[in-house]
Amino acid sequence: MTLVVDAVSVRRGGRVVIDGVTLEVAAGEVVGVVGKNGCGKSTLLLAIAGVIAPRAGRITIADAAVWGSHRERLRARRALGYCPEAADPPGFLLGGELWGLVAATRGCAPPDAALRDALGLDELREVPIERMSLGQRRRACLGAAFLGPPALLVLDEPDNGLDVRRLVALVALIRAHAAAGRACLCASHDAALLDQLGARRFAMA
Amino acid sequence: MWSRAVVVPASRRADAVWLGCAVVGALIFGPTAMHPSDLTQLALHDPGTGVVLGVTWLLLFVPTARVIVRPQAAYLASLPGDPRAAWLVGALALIVLQLPWLALWVLGEGALGAAIVLATTLVVAGLARWQPPRLRPTFPAWRRPGPALRAIHRRALGRRAGDALVRGAGLAVLAGAAAGLMVRNNHATGEPAGVLAASVMAILLMPAQIGPALVTLAVHRDTAWLAAASGIPRGARITALTHAVIAVHLAATAIAIAAAMVIAGANPWFVPVALGTSLGTGLGEARAMLVHETSPTVAARVVIGAIVSAVIAVVCLAVLGASGAGASLAIGAAALLVAR
Repeated sequence: MTLVVDAVSVRRGGRVVIDGVTLEVAAGEVVGVVGKNGCGKSTLLLAIAGVIAPRAGRITIADAAVWGSHRERLRARRALGYCPEAADPPGFLLGGELWGLVAATRGCAPPDAALRDALGLDELREVPIERMSLGQRRRACLGAAFLGPPALLVLDEPDNGLDVRRLVALVALIRAHAAAGRACLCASHDAALLDQLGARRFAMA
Repeated sequence: MWSRAVVVPASRRADAVWLGCAVVGALIFGPTAMHPSDLTQLALHDPGTGVVLGVTWLLLFVPTARVIVRPQAAYLASLPGDPRAAWLVGALALIVLQLPWLALWVLGEGALGAAIVLATTLVVAGLARWQPPRLRPTFPAWRRPGPALRAIHRRALGRRAGDALVRGAGLAVLAGAAAGLMVRNNHATGEPAGVLAASVMAILLMPAQIGPALVTLAVHRDTAWLAAASGIPRGARITALTHAVIAVHLAATAIAIAAAMVIAGANPWFVPVALGTSLGTGLGEARAMLVHETSPTVAARVVIGAIVSAVIAVVCLAVLGASGAGASLAIGAAALLVAR
């Protein structure tokens, strides 16, 4: 399994947001996390991405524990590409600097021509993130998430702010990612997007 | 509305400048010291002194003036209202917020002094309106996360802390001038002179260092999720933050040492004692940032941490003499290691 979430509970702001969630994502699979507002979709993705520590349970990516030993944490995060819902990296960074930083952490090359073309990254390379529109920020963060490429993509509302052309390109990128034997976990309210991705649904209460 | 949106933020920026000028002014113009006219006459008749005085004031005040002449609240201009009123308020604020400069020249030279302030205000306004040409960015191929993060901190200081760095350079000149005057007026020489100068700098450089430090802290916090999701080790993040804080401390101290040497003469003790003390206070400030990084009142706590670090450094210097710089450095390093 590329991703295993085993009985994970996360507490935020003094309340238990997700309690005992179990989920598996196999290589080559796209899973859509669905559920009503506030049910904890983004919190689950934050815990998987290694940003918020769960209070109970275990998360592994490519057999490395996201919250395990230092070596395992590093291995798990190198296998992960994450795009948060807010798409809010530091605003003073230029697009090219964001990709440079993520490439350095993952030990990989900057975006290749195909990725740059699909997401229109060339026009964002010298633009500060704080001057980008929501859709442009999303594209910059997706460009960073796809670098590597990682074994697991964790995308939180990846279609927010994207125009039709880029949405089509994103669907093609995710499908190609899965076809190459990698996995994708995608939280979205957009049933049509999940249908286009051929995603298995994982419903959160 | 314009006053609240523009003049109040500008006056907040001027606070540190007024404070620095008040301290140096108390030393220069104390009861047994100079009269303002002594300094203004010197500036008028000695071109070197005049240029140094003028450039120091420009460094100190142009960042404040930028808030007035290039207001972020430009949307207010879209509201119905007489634009001349806003212009008048801005012009008055530009002059009134230069109170230390205004007081020096009016008390020193009367009407001629007022005319000089008006002339320098035009220069200030021109410089504040000027936008440096944007350089084409470079994209180095970072190979490891640590150097990448350190480079990003440096870029943040350049992009976000430009005004704070310019104002900090001016405040560092004032801090060095105050230290030099303390040394000269107390006829201190050798090691005691180095200790006295380093003690004065440790306290007076704080306003110069806090502005850039808060920018560094914001970068540290803003990169938290990216670092967590990318597997950047905490050690690399701490190193990058400390690197940025120390760079600002050392640069401000170097400027202050140069200013002190201009006034008090060269002294071989200035450099090691002041730089050692500066490293110690920088490490202490970095520790305060790390310990309180998730606190909603982190900015206030960092200011308190900087004050505590400076006080510890001064106590070390007072008790141990020049060796106090080493003690301050050791305490700062130990505090940072505990914070890890």
